[in-house]
Amino acid sequence: MLLQLKNIFKWVNSGGQRIFLLKDINLEVQEGEFISVMGPSGSGKSTLLNVIGMLDTFDEGEYDFLHESVHTLKEKHRANLYKEYIGFVFQSYHLLDELTVQENLEMPLLYKKFKGPERKAMVADMLDRFNIVGKKDLFPAQLSGGQQQLVGVARALIANPKLILADEPTGNLNSQQSEEIMHLFKKLNEEDGVTIIQVTHSEKNAAYGSRIINLLDGRKV
Amino acid sequence: MLKHNLLLYVRTIQKHKSSFLINLIGLSTGLVCVFLVFLWVSHEMVVDKFHKNDERLYQVRRNVPNGQGSLATFTSNSSLMLKALQQEIPEVEMATAVYGFNNSAHLEIEDKKLSSFGIMASEDFFKVFSYPLITGNKNTVLADVDAVLISSKLANTLFGEGSDPIGKTISVKKAEENIDGIFTITGVFEIPKTSSERFDFVLPYKTFLKYRNPDDIAWYSNSSSMYALLKPNVDLNDFNDKIADFTKKKSDYVEDQVFFTKYSDNYLKGTYENGKQVGGRITYVILFSIIALFVLFIACINFMNLSTARASRRLKEVGIKKAVGANRKSLILQFLSESVLLSFFALISACVAVILLMPWFNSVTGKALVFTLEAEIIVPIVLITLCTGLASGSYPAIYLTKFNPVKVLKGKISTSFGELFVRKGLVIFQFSVSLILIVAVSVIYRQLDFIQSKNLGFNKDNIIIFEREDALINSMDVFLDEAKQLPGVVNASYMQGNMTNFSNSSRGHSWPGQKEGSEQLTFRHAHVGPDFIETMGIAMKEGRSYVNERPDNGSQIILNETAVKLMGLENPIGTVIDMRGPNREIIGVVKDFNIQSLYNEIAPMALLCRTEWVSNLVVKIKAGEEKSTLAALTDLFHQFNPGLEFNFRFLDNQYQELYQAEQRVSTLSKYFAGMAVLISCLGLFGLAAFSAERRRKEISIRKVLGQSIGQLTVMLSSEFLKLVLISMLIALPIAYLLAADWLSQFAYKISLHGGYFLGAGLVALVIAMLTVGSQAIRAANRNPIKALREE
Repeated sequence: MLLQLKNIFKWVNSGGQRIFLLKDINLEVQEGEFISVMGPSGSGKSTLLNVIGMLDTFDEGEYDFLHESVHTLKEKHRANLYKEYIGFVFQSYHLLDELTVQENLEMPLLYKKFKGPERKAMVADMLDRFNIVGKKDLFPAQLSGGQQQLVGVARALIANPKLILADEPTGNLNSQQSEEIMHLFKKLNEEDGVTIIQVTHSEKNAAYGSRIINLLDGRKV
Repeated sequence: MLKHNLLLYVRTIQKHKSSFLINLIGLSTGLVCVFLVFLWVSHEMVVDKFHKNDERLYQVRRNVPNGQGSLATFTSNSSLMLKALQQEIPEVEMATAVYGFNNSAHLEIEDKKLSSFGIMASEDFFKVFSYPLITGNKNTVLADVDAVLISSKLANTLFGEGSDPIGKTISVKKAEENIDGIFTITGVFEIPKTSSERFDFVLPYKTFLKYRNPDDIAWYSNSSSMYALLKPNVDLNDFNDKIADFTKKKSDYVEDQVFFTKYSDNYLKGTYENGKQVGGRITYVILFSIIALFVLFIACINFMNLSTARASRRLKEVGIKKAVGANRKSLILQFLSESVLLSFFALISACVAVILLMPWFNSVTGKALVFTLEAEIIVPIVLITLCTGLASGSYPAIYLTKFNPVKVLKGKISTSFGELFVRKGLVIFQFSVSLILIVAVSVIYRQLDFIQSKNLGFNKDNIIIFEREDALINSMDVFLDEAKQLPGVVNASYMQGNMTNFSNSSRGHSWPGQKEGSEQLTFRHAHVGPDFIETMGIAMKEGRSYVNERPDNGSQIILNETAVKLMGLENPIGTVIDMRGPNREIIGVVKDFNIQSLYNEIAPMALLCRTEWVSNLVVKIKAGEEKSTLAALTDLFHQFNPGLEFNFRFLDNQYQELYQAEQRVSTLSKYFAGMAVLISCLGLFGLAAFSAERRRKEISIRKVLGQSIGQLTVMLSSEFLKLVLISMLIALPIAYLLAADWLSQFAYKISLHGGYFLGAGLVALVIAMLTVGSQAIRAANRNPIKALREE
């Protein structure tokens, strides 16, 4: 088992009222799963993803990741955990505009203490695998949305994470580009055994996954 | 990682050139101020510290009651003090006496003639002080009565470089001290750059005593400075308690309190008021250090403000980096190294600027500072730069890295109240400092202007003053008679000392109806010639001036109004008093005139008529005929003194030199204020640009809803003008207090009125308005559709 959420609650206090963002979420994710999280706007999809990705905290409940209880870990330890095992893909790519494709790919490795030659090899490998060798010296602004997201996925994968969290990865893409990205996800999942959790609005994209979780008002339905 | 961050930084700079430039210009300007002041201060701090025994080297001072209820502090002592120091005070290891000439002496060697400034010093002078001797033995150089030492500079002028002047003879003439003799060179000395004293030759003190009237060698006659090396481990306070009454015991006429002060302290802490040390140059050292640090701080504030205000641009980077695993520490490090890097860019441009500004700065401060790559200079300025980088980078670094990456990446960062408060507070601080500096500049300027245009009681215009040299010593009257015949010469006379300071003073006089205690009343006095009062345009209150009283007049005296008032004389004319000689009849009373800088009130003054000690000639020239008259006077001078340079000075210029320190402060504060205003405006410009950027959507919506460009401009500008108004409220009262404090040291001063303060406020407001307004107008003129479509 990769991770397990038990009775997770998350809320904010607003005007004396407690508004629940996540309410009693229970979820088990096995290694190699491809899960799609669906639900209307404001149902807590992204919040759930961020909690799983340890970018956000929760107020109540238990969260085990690879048999470590995340809720009891210190900030630093938690950071090490997600640094090592989790990669993120964002809707708006979030590449650094001032860096080239190659440099963007290299960035996560810098924070994982890989040595220079090792980093170069990993970046080269990734460029090769995603067929973007020719674009390695371009800046994000010089790429199409689809290509940017390709770089985004490559960046998420570069440190060999066990889990990829993708928040509406195709939200800003046209249908052809989306299809390519979804194919890529499926391939990664099936051939490389990467666990993927994606948030999506599209039934079609959700169908690429092996399991669908529906959320409504912070609750699993 | 470093390479990566560097790359990222360089590309960020390329993308946001304007904020980079604002920061660079601001920080370099701040650093320039600090470096210049640092160089200046570090030079001021070592002045006179080169003496080997600096820690034990003291000067003897006296506090004397001035008859008006307070104490005056003098450095002059009786020549009898030297022997007393050497023989009667066991704590004194070694002592020396120095008589400094008031003006230059006339030197002649073979066919070369020149005037030069010198001192007369007793035997141990070169042992007590550490002026390096290039040739000569410091134990014996001043042993002979006809010895003379010259500076290496004078040696080069007289004998050419590399020659050995030892054993050659020079003729030295000095009218005021009755010196006229041939002296043999026994040594050549050097004056280090860090010496406050400048002299080109040294004569033996024995010679001074030889030519001195034996009547004047007494405990109440003070002429010479005394310096002493105290033995190690002497406690100065105990010692001063012990010797306070030393001279009182020697003579009934003496009321002095003797005390020692450290010689090297005199340069920075040389001002005494009512017998207490109250400051001196140290005031300006501290003042300018503070101002420079403030200017640098203002530049740091710009950096902080711009960095945090433009945070949104960097926040995405922070968010992404955090999401891919960067911890906060590495991000803080990244931002700090960026600001340190920027400050080192600023260091480079500041160094270039300092090198270019050095000649100008030297002319303003009257120093000969050099910006060299020595460790004593490089290490501090690198440290200052490093601190600047860290200080200005710390707040942005902590601020930018504290956010939760999820919120950052969703663009959900709202500026908190506290953050706005800090940013606005910093802008207010900047403008307050700038305002205070603007007020300071205008007050100093007005005060100097006031001083220079104040009616001094004499007319300093078109008067030239020159020394009674060579042939003029014996034939001064002939020269004056002939000079008066020249067309363009209004009048001519002579005087002892200068119009800018009657350095002679005396006490212990008596007059009819004298009140108890007033024998301590200290009079300034000078010997002047016939027609002097007319030449100077001094007004007579009653009686008459000196007219053709010859030969020397020992029986008459002229007093000033203040003297008459303080002496309590009802009908002064015709009264016979005892002052600088018995049985002098008061023949006239002049209206008060200023002979010192306007820091001082007018002192009681006596004008005596005697040619013997007269050192200067004064000639009044008709306005508009300066050139031809000066040419004619030069000719006349050369008839009397062939081959000698006619060195004359305008009294006007001499008078202005009294306020050299103030002029320097005025010029420096003008530039520092300018820099502070410039940096503040740069910061405001950056913030206004950013605010316009941040409010683009709001501006667009307002515009679509029908708000006019004018209204928008006002709305955008007022945000910042409010800050300037608040800083006026804070700064102007502070400026008032500071200005009042500075002015209080002048006896004659301008009255402070609201105009200075409102004027400064207006200047700041207008500058701020121009800065912000341009940005506001640009923002208001943008096409609203563009901004709204992006949302």
